Amino acid sequence: MLPDISNPKKFNNNYNNITNQTMFEYKDFLIETDKFALNIGPSHPATHGVLRVLVKLDGETVVNAEPIIGYLHTSMEKYAEFKTYHQAETITDRMDYVSGASNNLGYILAVEKLCGVKAPKRAEYVRVILAELTRISSHLVWLATHAVDLGALTEFLYCFRERELILDIIETVTGARMTPSFYRVGGLAMDVNKDFFDKTRSFIKIFPDKISEYESLLTKNKIWLERTKNLGIISAEDAVNFALTGPSLRGSGVKYDVRKANPYSSYEDFDFEIPTGETGDVYDRYLVRIEEMRQSLKIISQAIENVPEGEYLSYDEYPAYVIPPKRRALTTMEGMISLFKYGMEGIKPPKGEAYVSIENPRGELGFYIISDGSAFPYRMRVRPPSFCNISALNTMAKGHLVADLIAIMGSIDILLGEVDR
Amino acid sequence: MDVMFALTVIKESKPKAIVSAANIKGDLYIQIKKEDLLEFAQFLKTDPRLEFDMLSDLFGADYPKRPERIEVIYNFYSIKNNFRVFIKVNSKADETEYPSLTSLYNSANWFEREVYDMFGLKFKNHPDLKRILNPDDWDGHPLLKDYPLRKRPEPEEIEMDAPGYIEPEKI
Repeated sequence: MLPDISNPKKFNNNYNNITNQTMFEYKDFLIETDKFALNIGPSHPATHGVLRVLVKLDGETVVNAEPIIGYLHTSMEKYAEFKTYHQAETITDRMDYVSGASNNLGYILAVEKLCGVKAPKRAEYVRVILAELTRISSHLVWLATHAVDLGALTEFLYCFRERELILDIIETVTGARMTPSFYRVGGLAMDVNKDFFDKTRSFIKIFPDKISEYESLLTKNKIWLERTKNLGIISAEDAVNFALTGPSLRGSGVKYDVRKANPYSSYEDFDFEIPTGETGDVYDRYLVRIEEMRQSLKIISQAIENVPEGEYLSYDEYPAYVIPPKRRALTTMEGMISLFKYGMEGIKPPKGEAYVSIENPRGELGFYIISDGSAFPYRMRVRPPSFCNISALNTMAKGHLVADLIAIMGSIDILLGEVDR
Repeated sequence: MDVMFALTVIKESKPKAIVSAANIKGDLYIQIKKEDLLEFAQFLKTDPRLEFDMLSDLFGADYPKRPERIEVIYNFYSIKNNFRVFIKVNSKADETEYPSLTSLYNSANWFEREVYDMFGLKFKNHPDLKRILNPDDWDGHPLLKDYPLRKRPEPEEIEMDAPGYIEPEKI
């Protein structure tokens, strides 16, 4: 009932009554809140696979973010113990399935170290080109999905457009787009052809402009800056203590890159820089990866012009461990016998252990192989870069908002196939 | 830093802990006793000549014929010196008081959980020791050599009340 305004006395009384009974005080507006848990994943597009993050929230602020992994666990380390050395190679590119050629390289180098085999220069250069092309394609997938997480959908379409060109090149050489398994102990499965050189050269010509195109959308974009600057900071000491590697470590300003620290597969022949960040936030990791694409392109353009002529397999030097080139297997008796034995029995590296690490797009990928002298690896250990990188998520995300947690997860660039193996 | 220098520094400071040391293809492998592990790791991390600031990897390997069948291999890396060392420690499979390095290296947390998951070593003073890759109720430790490659749960272990389960006669 409305108060009667015509009678001021009555109105006042009424008004007083109302205020006395239903007047809210400030404390009544404060809702009692408690910390609560939110489950992100395992099936959520922003977790880039099947990562599950158990987040404890205070309002919208992250108090604790615990990554829970294992949803894609296929026990590849166990599986490799039941495969011959070359069969086990096909497992490795299924771990980090967006950079298959890079994973194969780490595995093959470890087996080569075990056998004491060195690949010819031509094979090493082709390996470098494939590994660097893979790095670019992997960074493109990262940039595309990271940008989509933060609402920039155009970036996604641009990145996948160029990734298609790279996969085309890899398909031309190896016959497979994502899982090449193209390397053999002591070289390559087959020689590269003219098509590969032509396609790679034309890619080198167009790609620098494309990187600028990606950057023109994001690098100085105000929204992008506000969503990524001063966010998910991890200090250099913490990063080293958590054994972060790759762009996540270099974003914090530590200049560690396996390609420079312990050059493998002729990386010492090429001239390139290692980009590093300063503060170690999401934006720095973004800049590091963008610059890495430029440096990779630089390495490819040096390598493609200097691929030496000659054999692509070092069969003559190490006939016990290296497959004969197909041409010789089909034309000579001794080559045919050797290929047959190789297929039936597999290679048998001497007893021992070897560790080789390479610079994967995500960080330091290490393979530790123990051989007992048989045709099967006794133990294959993979040192997964994403596994270490995601373990630091809590340190990075504490105190930020949930929306920023997604940005931080994207900037670490994890791949669950490799985290879980 | 070369292998000989690192080995001399370590041998001088911790002569009692080392069981054996080897230089294989330019990598330094040192076998030490389990009791000395924590002190040894502390020394590797803080000694100004070595400065192994990163525990790059930690994993196990199973040798069923040995009396102490699990070999735990630590991969320490020094960014400043660009040098790597492998430390090996032998242990029983049902060890419950294995020393944990989580107080020194944050990366040890998940690695040790993986070793526990795959080999069954229980780490002492680990903040959160539970399975990491396998489900929490998993039976056995898959990377032991006597664990079969294709292990399926027995028919009586399958929960018949689980959603989606249809009795064979009804199909």
